[in-house]
Amino acid sequence: MTSMLKLSYRYDQTAARLEVDGLPDFSSGHGESVIGILSAWRLQLVGAPELEGKRDHLEALMAVVFPYARHQISGVSRPEGWSHHPVSIRPVDGLHQLELTSSQPDVPPLTIQLDDADLADLLRCLDALRSDVRVSISWPEVVNHPLSRRELVERVPLGRRLAAPVFGGVALAVVGVMAMVIPLPTQEIKAPSDSIESPSPDSVSDPSQADPSR
Amino acid sequence: MTESTVTSLQEAPVSTAVLGRRGMERLDLLLLTVESLDFNGGEAMLWATQQLGFETLFPNRVELWKRRCHNPLRRSTRRGRLGTAETEALIRLLCAMADRLYPMLHQLLSSREPSDLSKQRWALVDQRLSDLIAERFNLRRGAVQRLLSTDHSASIQRQLVLTLALAAGPGGVDRLRASLLDPTP
Repeated sequence: MTSMLKLSYRYDQTAARLEVDGLPDFSSGHGESVIGILSAWRLQLVGAPELEGKRDHLEALMAVVFPYARHQISGVSRPEGWSHHPVSIRPVDGLHQLELTSSQPDVPPLTIQLDDADLADLLRCLDALRSDVRVSISWPEVVNHPLSRRELVERVPLGRRLAAPVFGGVALAVVGVMAMVIPLPTQEIKAPSDSIESPSPDSVSDPSQADPSR
Repeated sequence: MTESTVTSLQEAPVSTAVLGRRGMERLDLLLLTVESLDFNGGEAMLWATQQLGFETLFPNRVELWKRRCHNPLRRSTRRGRLGTAETEALIRLLCAMADRLYPMLHQLLSSREPSDLSKQRWALVDQRLSDLIAERFNLRRGAVQRLLSTDHSASIQRQLVLTLALAAGPGGVDRLRASLLDPTP
């Protein structure tokens, strides 16, 4: 009976094909053609072995691909899930290196190189799955935020980033050295005696006195 | 553009994003890139606005052009910021156009395509985009000169095409909106 209810949906792009298998969850009131319980998935990427796994693995894949694509769309290449994560992706030589660590012991990690077109295809497959009304699964929420200024600054090459402050510092240092080396112009200082104004004999010290010149 | 894409774009929640100066520059430049990839891009955009239900916002080509003139890099630029409804409509329009052009974007980005063919395709994009920029943008602006400079244009154009590819499809609207709201570094 179970095999009759098994549902399978496929999402195709030029270089990627994602297939999901599952069963309807009648306890949640889903229809017969709606997958409510995901039993398996397979992902075929051109030039790479087929990937398959359970729902947890698919969610782990989504958890790194969506943030990575979010950064790429802003021109920022940032690794995602590089440590303690079953799936990781990072930029390598203009490509995107997807690495999948098996939960089984003694199985080496699988590495797949994706170009920009492969990454876009994979993203579209995952987008199509998440927005498919025939698959009613509560996927982890994807929140797209504007990047911080610091993350955006990092995409600018270090040389260009440092050019302005280095130039400013050098200019300041040059001006400082010149100020110390070049002597200040000497000013004539008047003697203290000159500075005291001698009283004029004509001055009227008391306005109430009569002016003798009159 | 498939029917399901149009439906999903219409059903998505409307944002209240107001783009800054840099965001508006990028949005208009991405629309210009769409025009450089599609000879009938102007007509296709107008058709797409009707398909997406934005005919009241953009009833004709002139109204669409007037909204795009909020880009400060344009020759005839308009002051003030674009409203939230118009911004959201332009973002959804761009994602729909990117979805329609996705096979071409894939060809341009794929490393499996023959290199000679790929070079010729990029050369055509470069020529058309440069012509459109020279026709519509203010060439005295440093940012516009950088778009046209041979040192920077190739990497800028690749980033524009990659942005369109990653913004195409149902989930692209949210990604693109967040990216356009990035602060100026």
